[in-house]
Amino acid sequence: MASKVLTKKDVTMLGIRSSLLQASFNYERMQAGGWLWAQLPALKKIYKQDSSALSSAMVDNLEFINTHPNLVGFLMGLLISLEENHEDRNLIKGLKLALFGPIAGIGDAIFWFTFLPIIAGISCSFASEGLIIGPIIFVASYVAIWILRIVWTHMGYTLGTKSFEILKDNSDIISNSATILGITVIGALIATYVSIELLPVIQVAGGIEVSIQTAFFDTIFPKLLPMAYTLLMFYLLKKKQISPVVLIIATIILAIICSYMNLL
Amino acid sequence: MQITLIQGLLLSIAAIIIGVDYWLEAFFIFRPLVVSTITGIILNDVKLGLTTGALTELAFAGLTPAGGTQPPNPVLAGFMSTVIAYTANVDAKAALGLCLPFSFLMQYVILFYYSAFSFFMAKADKAALEANPNAIGKINVITTLIVAVSYGVIVFACTYLAQDAMANLVNSMPEKLIHGLEVAGGILPAIGFGMLLRVMMKAKYIPYFIVGFLMANFIPMSNLLPVALVGFAFAAYDFFNAKQRKYELQEALARTNINTHGGNQDGI
Repeated sequence: MASKVLTKKDVTMLGIRSSLLQASFNYERMQAGGWLWAQLPALKKIYKQDSSALSSAMVDNLEFINTHPNLVGFLMGLLISLEENHEDRNLIKGLKLALFGPIAGIGDAIFWFTFLPIIAGISCSFASEGLIIGPIIFVASYVAIWILRIVWTHMGYTLGTKSFEILKDNSDIISNSATILGITVIGALIATYVSIELLPVIQVAGGIEVSIQTAFFDTIFPKLLPMAYTLLMFYLLKKKQISPVVLIIATIILAIICSYMNLL
Repeated sequence: MQITLIQGLLLSIAAIIIGVDYWLEAFFIFRPLVVSTITGIILNDVKLGLTTGALTELAFAGLTPAGGTQPPNPVLAGFMSTVIAYTANVDAKAALGLCLPFSFLMQYVILFYYSAFSFFMAKADKAALEANPNAIGKINVITTLIVAVSYGVIVFACTYLAQDAMANLVNSMPEKLIHGLEVAGGILPAIGFGMLLRVMMKAKYIPYFIVGFLMANFIPMSNLLPVALVGFAFAAYDFFNAKQRKYELQEALARTNINTHGGNQDGI
């Protein structure tokens, strides 16, 4: 039975160093270079005299990996606890391969597709009124998320292989709940931040002018056009696989044409 | 208004720090809301930074590097939307449209580095075989430094050096064209939200989507926190239900196992 060589401080340091994950990001190995770099002090401590064991650990950890930066500490903590116990190299490698994908999936669902729209939506509603509290809320939220990296790392380290089961059992439920929260907010974001205002007015008998926008859309269904345009974009992105860059350029051209035609 | 040399240099330094943060995805100060605010502080017009930042942030909401794809660059979008609104004196919405070419430019620079940095991996392999941790550190520092310097140089060139050309170009544009860009700035968030929906939307989520949309449409709110809380309530409701279903399923499975104990477990 191998004795514990890593202290609590080492694990905390590993969580902090997990921020280096993407330092040498590239298409061949994705995050492998930074993944190894972040773990090197811990690995050096584990394998201090044994340079051939250190070498094989380094070689293994230079293999392709692409996971979520905000949650990677969890995986690092888990695997470093196995390294510390001098578990079989193939077990460590296998667990890494099995876990980095699901962790990336959970991380994307929680951080990019749920947390970001919500925090951005709330912060921007302050910022667009000229209130500095908007970006302050934003930065504070993400500093909190960063500090959680250390918590995830300790969690992965203490739970060890047990955490593998917990994660596998609950990942679908967590992603599903996070998506529900995200989708609700995105519905509101569309109504709040996409604006399409029609300019044309209809001439009614007797010289009365009726604006289509204020008389029709604003009274019956205010944000119908923004929703329709967003759903059109969704359709083109999903079903027609059109790249977002093409849609951005097409939208700008369309907006300019509508401006010249006095439609928008 | 004019950007001074000092301001240009400060923007360049800010770009180095923010660029590294985007490269590592550590503190998320690279999001347009924060970048534009910092730009506004440097240019001594915080309010302009806040308004351009809020608009740009939402247009970039769905343009994320999730899954390892590189989106249009949020850092350059944050800097340039504020800088263009400041130097060419245009509306925030028009500035959003005009900042996009810079954002695409930086996206392609980063894509180039993603390919180019693959060459460092052979060196890393060698270091791993020799159990040489310092060499691994050096590779990571070099790649990060290359990215940092690129951000500094490109942002300095785009903000300080190109400001007169940019202002002249924008000021020579016809009014209808500028108005068209403003209109585009109002519509562009639709693409960001469309991107989010592409990844997230399934038929079972449509009810939540409708509730969020209707709340923001018909209930006056000063910010979106109430919607987020309602969404959280939905999420919690679903979470507990799913847990319960899973528990019941396991119970049922356990019972079946007892019943078929010793028998053929392949049967249904």
